Amino acid sequence: MLSLFILAPLFLLFVLNLPLKPVNKACFWLAGVLLSAQILMALGHALCPWSLYPDKLGLFFVFNLVMDNLTLVMLLVIGIVSLVALFVGKSTIILEEQRFNFVSLVLACVIGMNAVVLVRDIFSLYIFIEITSIASFVLIALKKDKLAIEGTFKYLIMSAVATVFMLCAMAFLLLAAGDLSFAAVHSAFYNPANAGLLKCGAGLFLCGLLIKSGVAPFHGWVPDAYSSAPAGVSILLAGITTKVAGVYVLLRLFGSVFILNAQFQNILLFAGAFSIVMAALAALTQDDFKRMLAYSSISQVGYIILALGCGTPLAFAGAIFHFFNHAIFKSLLFVNAASLEKEFGSTNMNTLAGLGNKSPVTGFTSLIGALSTAGIPPFSGFWSKLIIILALFSAGRFVYGGIALLASILTLAYFLAFQRRVFFGKTESTLSSAGTSWALRFWEIALALITAASGAVFVLVHNNWVLPLKAIFW
Amino acid sequence: MSAPSMYLFVFFGIFSALLLITGIYCMLVSFNLIRIIIGFEILVKAATLLIISAGYACGKSALAQVMVITLIVIEIVVMVVAGGVALWAFRHNDNIDPRELGNLKG
Repeated sequence: MLSLFILAPLFLLFVLNLPLKPVNKACFWLAGVLLSAQILMALGHALCPWSLYPDKLGLFFVFNLVMDNLTLVMLLVIGIVSLVALFVGKSTIILEEQRFNFVSLVLACVIGMNAVVLVRDIFSLYIFIEITSIASFVLIALKKDKLAIEGTFKYLIMSAVATVFMLCAMAFLLLAAGDLSFAAVHSAFYNPANAGLLKCGAGLFLCGLLIKSGVAPFHGWVPDAYSSAPAGVSILLAGITTKVAGVYVLLRLFGSVFILNAQFQNILLFAGAFSIVMAALAALTQDDFKRMLAYSSISQVGYIILALGCGTPLAFAGAIFHFFNHAIFKSLLFVNAASLEKEFGSTNMNTLAGLGNKSPVTGFTSLIGALSTAGIPPFSGFWSKLIIILALFSAGRFVYGGIALLASILTLAYFLAFQRRVFFGKTESTLSSAGTSWALRFWEIALALITAASGAVFVLVHNNWVLPLKAIFW
Repeated sequence: MSAPSMYLFVFFGIFSALLLITGIYCMLVSFNLIRIIIGFEILVKAATLLIISAGYACGKSALAQVMVITLIVIEIVVMVVAGGVALWAFRHNDNIDPRELGNLKG
């Protein structure tokens, strides 16, 4: 059954590209049904563990796909964010040809991401990371305007350099372990004979993955790529694509495959804390909403990396819960950006002012997203940050815990500055609304409800989803 | 893995390090998008050489060959996309100087 997560989008991609007029007309709805099915399968897994059914398709496609709790959370997030990105793209992309290409490329991205979270082999991981990345390069350059081409080229070159690091790391791991499956590499770490080669391989992998996830010293491409992409694509990129290709692989490899020794812990802790503070300070000075959100995204990825560097099962579970929350509230804020761009033709905070009366839903939901990002109690962002900070303090990392705590104030500062400039205050009479889009309103409200609800019923979420994640950490 | 095959790995490792340095120099020094892509291609060739010699040194040549063939296919796809992006940069700016790609800042 597990191979269906890869084969069903592939089959749909194939069918959509057949010259059939009615199928091409309905492409958004077909892809939407597929992604909804993925969300339902991930949510209903506890009731009906369908992954236990024998996989007849596995006779033809030998991939060794495995399901565990981390994979389940990832499949759920991939489903939700891709669905939102798909329908935001439906209401913001106008040209017929671009709409069709957008659906095909989103499906290609979904194939790559589903496979990345299901495979248990470093080389297959590399292949599917590249499939995801290539689809997202083309998605950023979808409109082919000058800025989009520039953003794409920067992302492409940084990603390519990261790929070279990962390939060299694979050569060292192959030499030391003799095989690249997770089990073989993990058992090779307990053999003292090749410790130097393995450390070299893991270090090179770490360099490549830090570039891929856009952590602070290597973050240059992130704001350019996110802000120059079309609205639907920036939701997909910021919410899930770069996170699965970089942060998930980092969590998986350093959480359960490589041995996380003190040197790697220190590198991860420093990189996490540096990107939290640096990106939050950079976000304060931005004028463009999407660039500000991109810096905020770097800052939140810093929390995940910091929690991984802490190296305890509690911190690891907190990191994955923050990954989920970040995907939801950052998608919400990017939908708000898409809504502002569609209604008022700009995301520049200097030209937008006092829109609270004109678009109350956008104003209210972006406030929810901002409070959740900053970690204000009723919302889910508070709980994941609480777990991370508690884990840091209980592991004795008081300085890093303090940095994580104080940086929340910086997060609140830049989001409240944005709210005040754009939504509060007097309405400029020159700004005229080009009509509200009810589809965008619907997704804003749905994502705001998810982030509020998963904060409100946190005990339930904690017992059913967060606690089982601790077992993944070796 | 035996000592002679380890020497072989070190021998090829030195060559691939030289290729890596060449590729990085090519990417950093030239002001031409196509040359940056060529520099990246040299980097990937260095990694390919390292993987194939690692596979030989640990006695898993077949596995390494399968990996390298897959890797070449994927790199070609990345190169095609990069070439397309460079083509559109040329259409917008009438040259392929990466210094023209400096409009996004902050």
